[in-house]
Amino acid sequence: MSLLDILFLGALAVALAMALLGGTRPAGVIATLSYAALLAVLALMEPLLAQSNAAIASSVKFQIIGEEIGWSMNGLGWFFALITVAAALFASWFSSGQWGAVQYDMRRQHVLLAVNVFAMLVLLSSQDLLGLFIGWELVSWASFAMMTQRGGAAARAAYRYILYALAGAMAVLAAIVIIRAHAASFNFADARMAVAALPSATKWTVVALLTAGFGVKMGLLPFHLWQAPAYSETPGASSAFLNAISARMGLYALIVTLLQVIGTDVLTNLSVQFIWLDARDIIMWLAAVTMVVATFIALMQTDARLLLTWHGIGQGGYMLLGVLIASPLGTAGGLMHVMNYGIYQAALILSVASVMHRTGTSDLDRLGGLITRMPLSYVTMLMGIIGLAGLPPMNGFVSKWMIYKSLLEGREPLLLALAFVTTLGTILSVYKLIHNIFLGQLRQEHWEIREAPLSMTVPMLLLGAICFVTGAMPGLTLQLVDRAQAAIGVPLLAHHLGGVTLATGSLNMLWVVGTMLAMMGMGAVIFYLLGGRHRAVHQYDNYAGGHFLSADLRYHFSHEFYPGLARVIGPWYRGWIVRAEASLIRLSDIIGHAWRGSFDAGITPLYVMAALVAGLLWVRSAGGLP
Amino acid sequence: MTLSLLAELIVMPLIAFVVGLALVLMMRRVRARIERRIGPPLLQPVYDIVKLYAKRTQVSHGIMHDLAIVMLLGGITTSVCFLPVPGLEGLARQGDLLTLVYLMMVPMLGLALGVGSCANPNGSIGISRALTAMLAYDVPFVFVVIGLAVAYGTTSLPEIIAHQQSGGIATWGAAEMPLLAIAGFIAMHAMLGKEPFEIYVAPAEIATGPMAEMSGKYMGALFVMQSFQLYTIGALYVTMFLGGGENWLTFLMKLFAVVFVSVALTNVYGRYKTDKVIRFMWTWPTGIALAGLALVMMH
Repeated sequence: MSLLDILFLGALAVALAMALLGGTRPAGVIATLSYAALLAVLALMEPLLAQSNAAIASSVKFQIIGEEIGWSMNGLGWFFALITVAAALFASWFSSGQWGAVQYDMRRQHVLLAVNVFAMLVLLSSQDLLGLFIGWELVSWASFAMMTQRGGAAARAAYRYILYALAGAMAVLAAIVIIRAHAASFNFADARMAVAALPSATKWTVVALLTAGFGVKMGLLPFHLWQAPAYSETPGASSAFLNAISARMGLYALIVTLLQVIGTDVLTNLSVQFIWLDARDIIMWLAAVTMVVATFIALMQTDARLLLTWHGIGQGGYMLLGVLIASPLGTAGGLMHVMNYGIYQAALILSVASVMHRTGTSDLDRLGGLITRMPLSYVTMLMGIIGLAGLPPMNGFVSKWMIYKSLLEGREPLLLALAFVTTLGTILSVYKLIHNIFLGQLRQEHWEIREAPLSMTVPMLLLGAICFVTGAMPGLTLQLVDRAQAAIGVPLLAHHLGGVTLATGSLNMLWVVGTMLAMMGMGAVIFYLLGGRHRAVHQYDNYAGGHFLSADLRYHFSHEFYPGLARVIGPWYRGWIVRAEASLIRLSDIIGHAWRGSFDAGITPLYVMAALVAGLLWVRSAGGLP
Repeated sequence: MTLSLLAELIVMPLIAFVVGLALVLMMRRVRARIERRIGPPLLQPVYDIVKLYAKRTQVSHGIMHDLAIVMLLGGITTSVCFLPVPGLEGLARQGDLLTLVYLMMVPMLGLALGVGSCANPNGSIGISRALTAMLAYDVPFVFVVIGLAVAYGTTSLPEIIAHQQSGGIATWGAAEMPLLAIAGFIAMHAMLGKEPFEIYVAPAEIATGPMAEMSGKYMGALFVMQSFQLYTIGALYVTMFLGGGENWLTFLMKLFAVVFVSVALTNVYGRYKTDKVIRFMWTWPTGIALAGLALVMMH
């Protein structure tokens, strides 16, 4: 029994244990400890993956059409598995106390989380195309179940998701069938040789089918509409898990298929005439446009959860950009961003969940001033937004910096400009997020609110702390990234604890963060020790141009936070994709209604009979019957 | 090695502070001369800081308000350490131009958080406008930075300076890439937040916006930040386009010249509306910068 078997069995055991004990009080603690144990198993796997082609095989195998299908985990899968299990750990830690106790059906949430972890582990250890497809379907249905658990708007969003996911899966299946027809094997290595020999029209078809199919999960444009409503309607802890890692399964599958099965050399040779673009450029532009569009949609949201999930879609674009550059710096930056993003996004979603737990809303127009009541949640969110905005000293800055540099090295100035503009949009929207929730006027109905309990704040703050530590010492994360990079076959990036040293401009975060801390210390001395004593005043003791401020007066500037900007870019949000999607849904409704009519009891036997006759005729014509 | 580096980390912010105060003085004197006044005496900026720090009324709106001042002072002095000046390289090899661009946003974030926790709608509107302005001017600035990085093949500031100093004025950024230099100047002028891009102060509309709730040493810290800001933005422009400083004399001459042009221009403009700032920034400077980038890419 290999370590991978233990990992699979462990994940299944958690699911089973949660099915039995999920409703009891210590369930959250048990789940947290079990995920910690799974993390330990992953840690034990690390030394075995040190060689570049190393993989840990599972003993589960089966035969199909003369081929053996099995599972084994390499460095890339291991890297994603690490984030998956860690995200599950923090999600169940968060729900182990008061938050879990007030949930409608915590047992189901625990079970579904464990099932999702298992499904993702299966996907992440696929070693051939069929295994990839099986894992992909498992993940799709597992996350569908997770999204539907609350019913209502969540279920509608999840229904939308499963339609997209099924269409995507069909596209993927079609691509696999094409590859299999030429390779006569599901194996990645055989598939790679077969794809290289395909005519270019077929290559284009395969690339388009795979990108579209797996892109659905990432929310790649134009398949981006389902993700934000589906993820944000899911209950807090599960939502943190989905946001942190679920969409990244699409990225994993894209890395495996585009980089390992098809290969960047094939992608760059597929050129489009007259527009100087090749297949890789087109996917990169798609990623960049996704990044900008999703971020500027996030900017206009008035719900904290929606705002964050839209950013999740946008951040996926950065990762895909970095990975597709396929230089050591680019893939390292892209993969590192997967981990960094998982950390700060989980922190952000959990801090919004704790605000919701106390106030009952995540509507950015109905909150404000909570910093005095929930300071720890505020600190978490502050660390998270600095990471999301990609400013020093948090980890998001390092991975984005690496992606910027790799775009510069790859001479992609326009893509780099889009990446920069996305960062600017992110800064605007995250400030709106923290301002509308935590800063400004505290509303009268929130005067009695207390900070979330320790079972919620400790995991949140821990995530924020990891965000800071991996920002100051990016070498810690880069060591893990090395494993994944070796598995893709990209040369490793030379790095040290503080960052990377390049001939074209280096980054040493130890110095950056150290100087920031020292200078802030100096600022603190100047501010606190020099000058007159400051005194704190009540929030209504404010400059109001001669007016008296009182509790019944609402003056928190929150709705339409960027009016000047909205006046300029507002007309750009015409939503033609939304309308296109709506008409597609209507079309599928019409077809669905027509189809349902034909299932009426009276007619069904007729159909069955017709099908039977047609089948018999076919078999007869094929010469099967005398 | 480490010891001299630490010494540089102390000296560089101090120099920046003194030069920044001189720049503030110049700004006020230029304005005074245009208005046919004599202007403030030599030490007026120092008197102002002392006065503000010594005030009896020092109103705090909570811990975040105080911490924001710390974050703001810390952030702006950190960016000074990454900006090489003649003889002092500081940390310029531990971070590059991209790092500096992002470091310069940290004090902005600090200010925004502090003003937000004051719970004054004027302040919040000011921050909303300041961030909008940032989105406006950073778009052309981004193209300028990218153009420069592509042209020099590096983002390391010492390398960029060395390249520009290799052949006299002919190899200055402004001589080699005049379009980028023009766009960069407009963007950096907007960064200073002076007319015509003064939308987030706008005394007549939003009661000086972010400064509405700042009294005593809070205001003093903003004053210090302004002097640092004049220095960093001016020095960054000199580094990017005017060959950096061969020695302190030429460096200061260039720095004062750049800031002089900028502060003189502010006096002849009124204030744009917010949407007008965005439209202007996203058309003219961005267009010029894009043209400059295209020229760079063709080489």
